[in-house]
Amino acid sequence: MQLTPLHVKEKTTIQYMSHELLFLAHSGQPYRGTVYVNFTSIGETFDLLDFKKYLTSLRDKKFTAEDIAFEIHETIAKNIQTKNLGVIVDLTARGGLQQRLCYGVEFEPVRKENIFQIR
Amino acid sequence: MDEKEYKAKRAQEVSQLGAGHTEYKYEYAPELLETFENVHPEMDYWVTLNADEFTSLCPKTNQPDFGTLIINYIPDVKMVESKSLKLYLFSFINSGEFHEDVVNKIGKDLVALMEPKYLEVIGLFYPRGNISIHPTFSYAKEEEKYKELEKHRFFNRNLNPQRIG
Repeated sequence: MQLTPLHVKEKTTIQYMSHELLFLAHSGQPYRGTVYVNFTSIGETFDLLDFKKYLTSLRDKKFTAEDIAFEIHETIAKNIQTKNLGVIVDLTARGGLQQRLCYGVEFEPVRKENIFQIR
Repeated sequence: MDEKEYKAKRAQEVSQLGAGHTEYKYEYAPELLETFENVHPEMDYWVTLNADEFTSLCPKTNQPDFGTLIINYIPDVKMVESKSLKLYLFSFINSGEFHEDVVNKIGKDLVALMEPKYLEVIGLFYPRGNISIHPTFSYAKEEEKYKELEKHRFFNRNLNPQRIG
């Protein structure tokens, strides 16, 4: 999947998140989660529309849950140059177990609710 | 009926719960829904089912939509089995549906399945274009008590709208 690089100032810390990650387990069962991406710019980031399309493209793809952070990390790393790239995926519970997957440089994810979403 | 007979009867009522292999369908599949018998039909009691991972597609743009569905009902003779409900809700994953339509469709399917005393389906969809849509479906049996309940909940919904943000 192509993520179009966009020019941004160097040394900007950029963090993206989405509550709308969806992919399939090998059993076919959908997995839902939140993805956090964090890096320091060395002059570029990626087009967010492309990133949205990429996340949506995972919707019918099968992964081992533990590999999903790696998959997203690798896709970003193949498309843009960054420093300190890290990806965290928090999956919702399956069978009473929750999973957090981290790949790359560790960071503290900033948690935000979806605006207008009533809890 | 002793406990052993009760458990055997319950086990026969549903096929998907506890099945070794689960088949997931990715196209709308109301035939997945299963029921089991309500053994307390003389009582009026609420059953609430929360589905936080509901997803479907926008019928126009094909972009994914996400939301929480809250199903509240007062059972009569039949009750919906929750694993079959989970599989049924998953089956909307590739369905193009407007939020308002999907909530009504699910409500009507559950009414046809269970013929409950009362049922409501509330959709709390994630915002798109800064607007989140929260449709509510409701149904009541032709009995004054439940019709009154439906009317009361319909008239009083969101009298104090929740703060957003």
